[in-house]
Amino acid sequence: MSTQLSEAPARPTAPDRPGRSSTTTGTAALFRFALRRDRVRLTVWIAAGTAMVALQSVSSQSFYDSPGALAAYRASVGSNAATIALAGPPVGLDTVAGAVAFEISATVMLIAALMAMFTVTRHTRADEEAGRTELLRSARVGRHAPLLAAVLLAALACAALAVAVGLGATATGLPATGSFVLGASFGAAGQVFTGITAVAVQVTGHTRSVYGLVGGLFAVFFVLRAVGDIEGNWVVWTSPIGWAQAAHPFSDDAVLPLLLCLVVAVVLVLGGFALLDRRDLGAGLTQPRPGRASATPWLRSPLGLAVRLQRGALLAWVLGLALLGVVYGALADSVETLIAGNEEALAVFGDPDVDDLVSAYLSTTFSITALLAAAYAVSSVLRARTEESDQRAEPVLATATSRSAWLGSHVAVALVGSALAMTASGVTTGVVRVLQTGEAAAFGRMVGAALAYVPAVWVVAGIAVALFGLLPRLAAALSWAAVGLFLVITMFAESFDWPGWVGDLSPVSWVPLMPLEPWTTGPVLVLTALAGALLAASFAGFRRRDLATG
Amino acid sequence: MTAISVAGLVKTFGATRALDGLDLEVSTGEVHGFLGPNGSGKSTTIRVLLGLLRPDAGQVRLLDGDPWRDAVALHRRLAYVPGDVTLWPNISGGESIDLLGRLQGGLDPRRRAELLDRFDLDPRKKARTYSKGNRQKVALVAALASDAELLVLDEPTSGLDPLMEAVFQGCIREVRAEGRTVLLSSHILAEAEALCDRVSIIRHGRTVQSGSLDELRHLTRTAITAETVRPAAGLESLAGVHDLRHEDGRVRFDVDTDALDGALRHLTGLGVVSLTSAPPTLEELFLRHYGDELADDGTAAREPVRS
Repeated sequence: MSTQLSEAPARPTAPDRPGRSSTTTGTAALFRFALRRDRVRLTVWIAAGTAMVALQSVSSQSFYDSPGALAAYRASVGSNAATIALAGPPVGLDTVAGAVAFEISATVMLIAALMAMFTVTRHTRADEEAGRTELLRSARVGRHAPLLAAVLLAALACAALAVAVGLGATATGLPATGSFVLGASFGAAGQVFTGITAVAVQVTGHTRSVYGLVGGLFAVFFVLRAVGDIEGNWVVWTSPIGWAQAAHPFSDDAVLPLLLCLVVAVVLVLGGFALLDRRDLGAGLTQPRPGRASATPWLRSPLGLAVRLQRGALLAWVLGLALLGVVYGALADSVETLIAGNEEALAVFGDPDVDDLVSAYLSTTFSITALLAAAYAVSSVLRARTEESDQRAEPVLATATSRSAWLGSHVAVALVGSALAMTASGVTTGVVRVLQTGEAAAFGRMVGAALAYVPAVWVVAGIAVALFGLLPRLAAALSWAAVGLFLVITMFAESFDWPGWVGDLSPVSWVPLMPLEPWTTGPVLVLTALAGALLAASFAGFRRRDLATG
Repeated sequence: MTAISVAGLVKTFGATRALDGLDLEVSTGEVHGFLGPNGSGKSTTIRVLLGLLRPDAGQVRLLDGDPWRDAVALHRRLAYVPGDVTLWPNISGGESIDLLGRLQGGLDPRRRAELLDRFDLDPRKKARTYSKGNRQKVALVAALASDAELLVLDEPTSGLDPLMEAVFQGCIREVRAEGRTVLLSSHILAEAEALCDRVSIIRHGRTVQSGSLDELRHLTRTAITAETVRPAAGLESLAGVHDLRHEDGRVRFDVDTDALDGALRHLTGLGVVSLTSAPPTLEELFLRHYGDELADDGTAAREPVRS
């Protein structure tokens, strides 16, 4: 391995010492330690993914219990661009098993990707940022060992998810081969995101940026496969999520696309190791630039601080939802093509009003956008909790800053930011629709439909704010659980014909489905009042409670 | 004039009684040392004084106000340096100083520049690249550049090197000369001895000793080393003499303050050739108060540990 200049005197080779060290020394110990730290977390991730598949399987089998019901389902989803955008390619819908795979695969792939991302990051960049890696590396631990251990753990978790889903789906009565292909498709998607994260943790020096980078890539890949699936063209092959879904469980059971995932995952991990060799411990690939010697006049209030801390995330979300608005708007034209090409749908619906179908599609996409904006709002509100638990709120609250002003600043960023994000998506969808239809009034309708969701988004944010004030320790877990619940309700309540009160649990479903349905003032007023009440409860609670101390 | 007055302060966290009837009196214009080992309740007391934690029982007055109810008004008049300074990773040190100063009610730009120079701090660096000591300097510059009448400093020098420790001590002397009040929590006794007018020593959330350094010295022993013409016999029979040892023709012992006179008379009777006496250090005060705790730990270790 070593090269020598011819002039240089030959150096004696170092004698082999007992217990030779390599760059991977200590991997086994780190792997066991990481497994020990994550045994509960990973079990929860895997159990959640498996349970979703099993529940979907059981409910689909009871719901589509006749060929007629299945044909009606096939007709409706095969022609619904919004459903295809959210779920995947409308393949294999002639069996209940295929319908299960279609309904659940996107959600479980998200779970697999998140599990891989959090697992790799937790044991690499997060440890490095906290200074723990330095301590480990000072012991007999090789340069590559922490990343290798993390990647192995994530790979093991993805494999375990694949097997668990295969067993779970088989146990609920689905064909065994297809069940394991379905599980393997989730595992393969997870492995790609293991590789992506292995690269991302080298590129950026901060855990938060890793999550932003990997999450952003997931969104881009998801949109690419949505475009490809709706248009039914090659674009789907630009996305690893598209590869994983190309396995078509229960119909084609194709393994080749999954092998592509694994190859790319291995290449990405090797790339991660190559980048690791080119950077210093604790640093990213770029050196931090020096900042300002003194603060600008903006940075003089708690609001100025909250904006400064959150502006990056805010900008990314507004841009992301604006782009999503462009994609959703552009795909509206395909709704017509889809229905025209779907004979079953034509048979079921007769000759449908295309305008109504487009409106239905757009109103579904806006409710999904609203859930994404709510997720942003929750993450923004929880920034206040991170500031508190990381002890950065303490020096600020020890100045002449009241608790209400401090919390209010973060909440203001969350509320205004999520409203901006909704507006951005309405504006871009509106512009695209005006270009498509040449009808100027479409712009106002799209912006109005997007803005109608703002009070509902604020209620979700309000739940997080209330939890911060009243149950700070549980705030993060419960707020995200609420977002997850609302997402499941929006995606499944209608297609499974769940009782009305289940749908009503989600504030998003209180909003009129514009542009399909007309504007109604009542629910929006109620939502606004509810959001206000949640904020008031939170501020009262936060003023009375102790600040978290380290 | 009292800047801080705490009586019977109790604060519990679940089953843990962090403060158990703590008392603290700080007069206006003094530098008050707040001493105790790790985990004795210093930071918890300070957080109660700042209105960040709500007391469970006891009276707390700060600058004639209620620290919980009047937090914002009181905070305009004080500046705080936390024990573990965490800053915003993406914001430079200079920006953090300006932000904290502005939120506190404004800082003097000339003094800010002077302090940056004295503490040798580069304000352009992002906080994530600062060492612990440099993060502490950021908080110190922000606090010292303000015109707060009360400085609350929680172990402000635990990350500073000896050079910076000297700069810090110089700054605190200037603050005292301006008539401002300082509450200085520390476990560095040399620092407290160098700076403090009065100290309070706490343990297990209670005040065990409080007073001026002179007063406290009465409670402890003076170390004597003497060389005498005739062999130093008979000292061991004197009351108040401890740890007597003979080395190289010299005699060394510790003597209680009230027995000092008798011990010196005894020595002069033997013909003193040389004599050194060292005043009791805070170190010794500390060890005496926590010595029994060390002994407790010894017995505790033998008992089964429950957790």
